[in-house]
Amino acid sequence: MELFTPDFGLIFWMFVSFAVLFILLWKFGWPVILNGIDSRADLIDKGVEYAQNAKEQLDHAREEADKYIADARRQQAELLREADKMKTQIIEEAREAAQKEAQKVMDAAKVSIEQSRKEAEQNFRNEVSAFALDIASKVVRNQLADEKAQTKLVNTLLDEIEKQN
Amino acid sequence: MKKVFLIWAVLLLAFVMPKSLSASSEGGELAIKETIFHHLGDGYGWEVPFSHHHRIPLPIIVCDNDGAWHCFMSSRVAHGETYDGFYIAESGDYKGKVVGRDANGTEYRPIDLSITKNVLALFISVFVVLLCVLSVARWHKRNGYKAPRKGVGAIEALISFVYDGVIKSTLKENARRFAPYLLTVFFFIFVMNLLGLIVIFPGGANLTGNVAVTLVLATLTFLVTNIFGSKHYWKDIFWPDVPLLLKFPLPIMPVIEIFGMFTKPAALTVRLFANMMGGHMIVIALTMLIFIFAPMGAAVAGATTVVSVIFSIFMLLIDVLVSFIQAYVFTMLSTIFIALAQENPHHEEHHDE
Repeated sequence: MELFTPDFGLIFWMFVSFAVLFILLWKFGWPVILNGIDSRADLIDKGVEYAQNAKEQLDHAREEADKYIADARRQQAELLREADKMKTQIIEEAREAAQKEAQKVMDAAKVSIEQSRKEAEQNFRNEVSAFALDIASKVVRNQLADEKAQTKLVNTLLDEIEKQN
Repeated sequence: MKKVFLIWAVLLLAFVMPKSLSASSEGGELAIKETIFHHLGDGYGWEVPFSHHHRIPLPIIVCDNDGAWHCFMSSRVAHGETYDGFYIAESGDYKGKVVGRDANGTEYRPIDLSITKNVLALFISVFVVLLCVLSVARWHKRNGYKAPRKGVGAIEALISFVYDGVIKSTLKENARRFAPYLLTVFFFIFVMNLLGLIVIFPGGANLTGNVAVTLVLATLTFLVTNIFGSKHYWKDIFWPDVPLLLKFPLPIMPVIEIFGMFTKPAALTVRLFANMMGGHMIVIALTMLIFIFAPMGAAVAGATTVVSVIFSIFMLLIDVLVSFIQAYVFTMLSTIFIALAQENPHHEEHHDE
C-alpha cells in the first residue's frame, strides 16, 4: 500500500522543502519576531513602571505642595502675630517715652515755677519788708522812740505772715 | 427568506445530484476502496473539479537504470500512454507509479524525484508558511514596538501562543536555541493540515496523512534530540540509575532505553499520519455513501445526500480542530523529547531534594 510505504521522491522533496523553509525562517523569521515580541514586552513593562512612578511622584508632589502651602500659611500667621505684637510694643514704648518726656518737662516746669515763686516771694518779702519799713517808718515817725524795737516787732509780724502762708 | 432559500438549496441538491451522478457512473461498478485510496494517495497530476479525465499536468523527473535523467510533463503518460520508455503501471507492485522497462523487458522502478501532487502541495505549504511568518517579521522590522493588527496580529498571537505556552515553559533557558526548529515544525504541519482540507486545487493533497512526510519530520526531531543531547542524557541511556543486575551481565535497561529512543519518533510519525489520514478517509467515505445509495431510488439517495453532506461538513470542521491539535501535539512532544535530552545532572539533583 502506497500510503504506508514511504515514497523516496516524497521523502527527498520533503527534506529539501523543510530544509529551505527552516533555513529561511531561521535567518529571517523567528529571531526577528521573538526579539520583537520580547523587546515590546520590555517596553510595555517599562512604560507601566514609568507611569506608576510618575503617578507616585505626582501624588507626592501634591502632598509636598500642600505641606508648603500649610507652612507658608503658618509663617504668614506668625508674621502677622509678630507684627501685631511689635506694633503694640512700639505704641507702648512711644507712650512711655512720651510720658517720661512729659514728666521731665513738667518736673522742669515745677522747678522753674518753684524757683520763680521763691524769687517772687523773696522780692515780695523784700518789697513787703521795705514797704512795711516804709509804713513802719511812717508810723514810727510819729513815735521815734525805740526804732530798734519797732523793726523787731515788724520782723516778727512778717514771720508770722510767712508761717501763715 | 434566507432559511427558505437554504431549504430549497438542500432539497435541490438532494434530488438532482444523486440522479446525475448515478447516471454518470452507470458505465461501470463503483470501486469504493480504490476511489478512497486514490484520493488519499499521491498522483502525477492534480485533479480538477468536475472532470475525471483532465488533470493539471506536473513534471515527472526520473532517473533510469543507466543513470540518465528524464524530465517530461505527466500529461505525456496520462491514460496509459508511454513516453520515453516510461509509463504508469496499471497493476503490480508499482501500481500507479511511473515505471520503465529495462533491456530484458522487465518492469523496474526508476529513481523518481517527480514533482507529484504531494510535492507541489509541499511547495505551496512552504510558500504559505514563508508568507505568513515573514509578514510578521517584516512588521517587527518596520514598526518596531507597535502591536500588529488583523492577520499579522493573529499569526503573531499564534506564534507567541506556541512559544510561550509550549517551548518556553518546557525548555526554559534553552527555549531560544530550539525555538526556530519547533516553531517551523508547528507552522509547517499546521499549514499542511489546513491545506489538505481544502478540496480544490491549491489544497486537497493528503500531505500529513502520508507516512513519508511525517517520517521526515519525526526523523528531524529524532536527530535534533540526539545531536543536542547532554552527557547526562547519554549516561541515562547506557548506564541508568538502576540496580547493577539490570544493566551489567545483561544490559536490559540500556536495551530498553535504546529501544525507547526509536519508539518516540515512531509514535510521532504514526500519530500525525493516522490522525490526518483518518480524518480524510472519513470525509471521503461519507461522500462515497451518496454513490453507494444512489441506485436505490430518489428518496433514499436524497436522504443519504443530505445526511452525508451534513456529516461531511461536521467532520471537516472537526478536522480543522484536529489540524491544529495535531500540529500542537507534534510540536509539544518534540519539545518534551528535546527537553528530556537537555537535562543535566545538576538540575536532577536539585529536583530530587
